[in-house]
Amino acid sequence: MNGRNQGRTEMKHTPVRGLLGCSALVCAVLAMSPTYAQDAALIDAAKKEGTVTIYTSTDAEQSQALIDAFTAKYGIKVAYNDVGTNGAYNQVISEAAASQVTADVVWSSAMDLQMTLVKDGYAEPYKSAEAGSIPSWANYQDTLYATTIEPIGMIYNTGALEEDRIPKTRADLIKFLKDNQAELKGKVATFDPEKSGTGFLHHTNDARQTTDFWDLAKALGADGVKTYSSSGSMKETVVSGENVLAINIIGSYALDWVKETPNLGVTFGTDYTPAFSRLALISKGAPHPNAAKLFVDFTLSKEGQEALASGGLPSVREDVTSGLNIKTLNEKVGGGLKPIAVDEGLLEYMDPAKRVQFFNDWKAAIAG
Amino acid sequence: MATSPNSAAMSADAAVLQRYVPSHTARPAGDAQLFRRIAIGILTIMVLAPVGLIVYQSFLSAPFFSPRAELSLDAYRYVINDPTFYKALGTTTLFAFGMVAVAVPLGGLLSFLITRTDIRFKRLLEVLVLVPMFISSIVLAFGYTVSVGPTGFMSLAVRDLIGFVPWNIYSLAGMIVIAGLSHVPHVYLYVSSAMRNLPSDLEEAARTAGASVWRVSLDVTLPMVLPSLVFAASLNILLGFETFGIPLVLGDPNGIMVLTTYIYKLTTLFGTPTYQLMAVVAMVLVLITLPLVWMQRRLLRNARRYAALGGKGSRVSSLKLGASGQVIALSVIGLWLFVSVVLPIGGITVRAFVDAWGEGVNLLERFTFSNFDRMLEVPSLVRGMINTVILSVVGGAIAVVIYLVIGLAGHRNRGFSNTVLDYIVLLPRALPGLVVGLAFFWVFLFVPFLTPLRPTLVSLFVAYVVVGLSYGLRLLQGTLIQVSPELEESARTTGATIGRTWWDVVIPIVRPGLAGAWALIMIIFLREYATGVYLMGAGTEVIGSLMVSLLTTGAMNTIAALALISIILTGAGLALALRLGARIHD
Repeated sequence: MNGRNQGRTEMKHTPVRGLLGCSALVCAVLAMSPTYAQDAALIDAAKKEGTVTIYTSTDAEQSQALIDAFTAKYGIKVAYNDVGTNGAYNQVISEAAASQVTADVVWSSAMDLQMTLVKDGYAEPYKSAEAGSIPSWANYQDTLYATTIEPIGMIYNTGALEEDRIPKTRADLIKFLKDNQAELKGKVATFDPEKSGTGFLHHTNDARQTTDFWDLAKALGADGVKTYSSSGSMKETVVSGENVLAINIIGSYALDWVKETPNLGVTFGTDYTPAFSRLALISKGAPHPNAAKLFVDFTLSKEGQEALASGGLPSVREDVTSGLNIKTLNEKVGGGLKPIAVDEGLLEYMDPAKRVQFFNDWKAAIAG
Repeated sequence: MATSPNSAAMSADAAVLQRYVPSHTARPAGDAQLFRRIAIGILTIMVLAPVGLIVYQSFLSAPFFSPRAELSLDAYRYVINDPTFYKALGTTTLFAFGMVAVAVPLGGLLSFLITRTDIRFKRLLEVLVLVPMFISSIVLAFGYTVSVGPTGFMSLAVRDLIGFVPWNIYSLAGMIVIAGLSHVPHVYLYVSSAMRNLPSDLEEAARTAGASVWRVSLDVTLPMVLPSLVFAASLNILLGFETFGIPLVLGDPNGIMVLTTYIYKLTTLFGTPTYQLMAVVAMVLVLITLPLVWMQRRLLRNARRYAALGGKGSRVSSLKLGASGQVIALSVIGLWLFVSVVLPIGGITVRAFVDAWGEGVNLLERFTFSNFDRMLEVPSLVRGMINTVILSVVGGAIAVVIYLVIGLAGHRNRGFSNTVLDYIVLLPRALPGLVVGLAFFWVFLFVPFLTPLRPTLVSLFVAYVVVGLSYGLRLLQGTLIQVSPELEESARTTGATIGRTWWDVVIPIVRPGLAGAWALIMIIFLREYATGVYLMGAGTEVIGSLMVSLLTTGAMNTIAALALISIILTGAGLALALRLGARIHD
């Protein structure tokens, strides 16, 4: 099964390499043999550095397995700074300005901020030895790598809504919100895009990818939607029944929440389930550049991805067997998985004029 | 033990003074002006470094360290033209004054009952009254959501009884009542320390003349503690302007925005954080502070009038409440304690031991210990607990020494430096912890000789000392001011230097106050959450800031467990401090 998965991975990437005019087999050999040689030198250099500093927005609860596996394998200490998305961005630009770069790897779920860091020259390109094993959309110019794939979905209170009433598609959802206004009034939650970078990313991605996002926003407005700045407060209100459902939440968290919370359900659109990724970059002037490279390699490797997936963060690789991987996740959400590509499209809404326009449209739509 | 560095500094200082003060001066042996100036000068730098950075940032077009940054008023223009800002400002003003209107009368009443009357269970009440301070407002707000939120267990019970829930904690009124009740201890601490040292002869005289206990409290006690009430009121107005946790949790869902949540929004509104806009709003908060300090100074210009502890060593005797008075007083306190202690802590405790709650959930069936499973597994959580204890216990003790040095520098200080001190002290209190923390992050990053301290607890400690300055210092000053000048003057006439006078006369008298101050500072450091958000890193995690970062990812079970642990830690710390304080007291 493992072997079959790996075979599929190679097949999948053959067309890309085919452009370069070599067969899959030759290519694999070409790609792999220098990698191994480089690895040994890299590992030695990284071990000499002895430590790697990560700035991240990922809770240690989810990444502890990854950190432990890395340290166990290479004996390199991980200084793990869970500083949040804004904290990571702020510290990176501040430290660069003070010529005190401390972060080796910046690993954050704020895809737009990560892309901004790359565009503003805070990242060091590095072609990871594992780059060939992840989808092409997950690698931006060998500088910014998607390390997870996390579906965006909906949670609901199972005591208030029976499973068979839960809408399956985007169109169903809009209809459901419109048809049950009396029942749902003031009991639907979503992210506030003004206060939450995550929420902004989810909503604007929908606005970019779908045609009916504004219909959804209006339907939410008609239900008197309540907006929140954090996943935590949304989850808690749905658990308690104060809200009956929350839309555009982080599905990877929700899949874990439902395991430990008996009255919480999670669901994904079968026609359309967008997915975001935690992006990793190596900072320019990183104090431990080799350890940083090794950490990125490890995070993208099968072993590292297994560790992440076991912590509840689905893998971008198809050959990962613990937890969910991009393929099994797609099956789980009903086949409509649409990853948010790691490309310059992420910067579209960093433009102040477009941003203000989006906020105005959003506020008008949810005003009800 | 904790005060020995202080004494060394002071006697050395006295020696220095002997040399520097000209012999023809009118003062007997100098007024320790050099010591005063150095202490206040260092404090001024500690406070003005971050505040100055914020002022500078507010006049720039980009982050101050960016090559694109140039002098500009655009940030002010944006804020002045933003209707959301005015809405937030209006809401904040209502919130702050509403909070004071709830907290000050209740805090004053509680202080009177506990310090001036023979109310029963006094020892126990003295501790219980402080409990709402143990909890950071963000945790407090969560506790209330679980107990009296729309689907809280109390709300559901009341709904079963009368058919509807008669309150809504997500409204502005709900937020004001919650914030007001939770700030009662802040008032109590200031007012009770002033009341405790009042001689009781005036009150007794009034009682003998036939006045009721309530009349005595209003006409005799109240005027004597007016300065502390003014302190408490103006501080609470500032606290109201600065409150973050309660509006974040309770105001958020209904779009009720105050200045601090407006600042919070500015970090994401433009994609990348707009520090210049945050700085402008912080400036607005500073500008609100200044007239408040000015007003305080005017009211307290003649502090001598309020010095009440004379040299005659009068013993405080309690007013008799009588049977019905006891019942009424205990009921008032009991009700307040139920609302402001039992409801939030009950909510947090329940939440820490269940995996689901609310509508249609039987809490007993959901009982679990699993929320605590990860506490010892995740190293950052373990470190967070250890660091928090170190910062509050050890850091709190060092902070008391620092505040005492500053307090003495300002004690009976007639120089210009005292005016500086009055303004410096309240500045950091006016700024949201998040902003102070961010400014200190920059100070420790950009000031070369400070950079090695940034990844250590020292950076957090310095920020905490500045954030806790107004509480700690005002508390010490309130105690110092009640040492009657005659005591000091008599020491001075017999030839003692000012250092010796402080060491042998002033400090022994205020010693019980120091233990109390330590307990207070410890609590303040334990519950702090916003300041550390930008300052903490790998190895310097603290519980409060960890909870903020966990909130964004939704690990509510872990948050509830952490919150309960921090409440227990604080309770233990306070019990210890009170035992210590009690021993010093006898």
